[in-house]
Amino acid sequence: MKICMLTWEFPPRIVGGIARHCYGLAKALTHSGHEVHVITLDFPGTPSYEEVDGVKVYRTATELGHPNFVTWALLFNHFMEKRVADLNQLVSFDLVHVHDWLTAPVGVSFKHYTKKPMVVTVHSTEYGRSGLHTPESYSIDGIEWWSTYEASKVIVTSSSMKREICEHFRLPQEKVEIIPNGIDLTRYWASVDRWSVRSRYGVQPNEKLVLCVGRLVPQKGIEHLIRAVPIITRHYPEAKFIIVGDGWLKDHLEGVAQSTRHRWKIKFTGFLPDQEVVALTTSADVLVVPSVYEPFGIVALEGMAAGVPVVVSQVGGLAEVIAHDRTGVFVYPEKPESIAWGVGRVLSDPGHAMWLTQNAREMIQKTYSWETIAMKTVKVYEEVVR
Amino acid sequence: MCSNSSTGFSRGPALPEEIHLLCTLHNIGATASEKSLTLQQISEWATMEISTLRSYLQKLTELGYVQFNKAEGVDKYHVTINGIRKVLSIYS
Repeated sequence: MKICMLTWEFPPRIVGGIARHCYGLAKALTHSGHEVHVITLDFPGTPSYEEVDGVKVYRTATELGHPNFVTWALLFNHFMEKRVADLNQLVSFDLVHVHDWLTAPVGVSFKHYTKKPMVVTVHSTEYGRSGLHTPESYSIDGIEWWSTYEASKVIVTSSSMKREICEHFRLPQEKVEIIPNGIDLTRYWASVDRWSVRSRYGVQPNEKLVLCVGRLVPQKGIEHLIRAVPIITRHYPEAKFIIVGDGWLKDHLEGVAQSTRHRWKIKFTGFLPDQEVVALTTSADVLVVPSVYEPFGIVALEGMAAGVPVVVSQVGGLAEVIAHDRTGVFVYPEKPESIAWGVGRVLSDPGHAMWLTQNAREMIQKTYSWETIAMKTVKVYEEVVR
Repeated sequence: MCSNSSTGFSRGPALPEEIHLLCTLHNIGATASEKSLTLQQISEWATMEISTLRSYLQKLTELGYVQFNKAEGVDKYHVTINGIRKVLSIYS
């Protein structure tokens, strides 16, 4: 099949999970014999066209701007649409696969001028991310609904997301398919010198590294982990906390860290390249995912792939990925005491922690390889092109 | 803290003004040195006084989110790769 994949982020333009998802899926689809063309936005230092692991990647420059984000998004859709229209003269696509609302207008146009089906993956919703409280959020919510209405099939990564969009957008259950996120296990096979990685971040051999990876935005719940730091260190004074990621909440979170009087135990690294995140994850004693809203939670899978015990909020997709006390530990969202309990559960019993990581690795190998995810996605494609 | 009435969790504090300016710079396309803009141009897009703008830009430059270069004796500003990531994190 010839697949036109639309996404506003694709490596190295990495913001959240969408870039990794599109890369993993496109690569696995290509390996299974399909022709994948990814049309995305430009990023400083990247070519406007290149082949990455067999995937054809087109990066589109946006020639016009506007201070308002939604207007800007609609403008970049126009430039992407031009690129897709040109490309469509050369490649006879079988379908278009849109990732999130940001590229939905291009996908809808494509569907109407080529009369080919559109599939949309809804990775999260505006309603769930930040609620509907501004004119922009209502516009985004509207575009999200519109994309699911126009799509022949809608893909979500978890049952909780299926429930959310079926209720919120009033979609028929049979229109929505659940295909989880995948993970490239080979990224975690390289040997890592744990002690050298830890020492780069000021963690001594006798200390416990509690890691958190995520965008610094409210829905990731990182504030609740920071508030748990004094409780955790009361029992585990050797614990050190590393928070990887950037986001607009950074100043606020640093203020919260200051207020705990344990600021010196908490390190904010900012954005780190993928390889460094893998090295750091592999070197951690526990990975905490304290999200408040999480449609899937790929970072938990990454922790499990790296062989690190994970402590996660029992919300959304995370609640489906983890089996409590079998492949990870559940804690209550927004409850620092509960997060502290979860971290303690792992740090206090290394034997149990190792058992959790072994179970977790077995489970993700079976369920979350990109080959499996690509196969399920192709079934959806086959259904819509029929 | 503002509350999210739809999903019930706290959305955290309001977006800091300088980050709002960073978003504006990004959305109007000042994302590479060849697309950098003068204080005057930014002031018109952002509808912001030059003096306020200057202090926000200084903070953003110190944080590594904005870079300035001198072209024909004029200071011009653009968003760095870290700045782009910062902006995208808000919308993703």
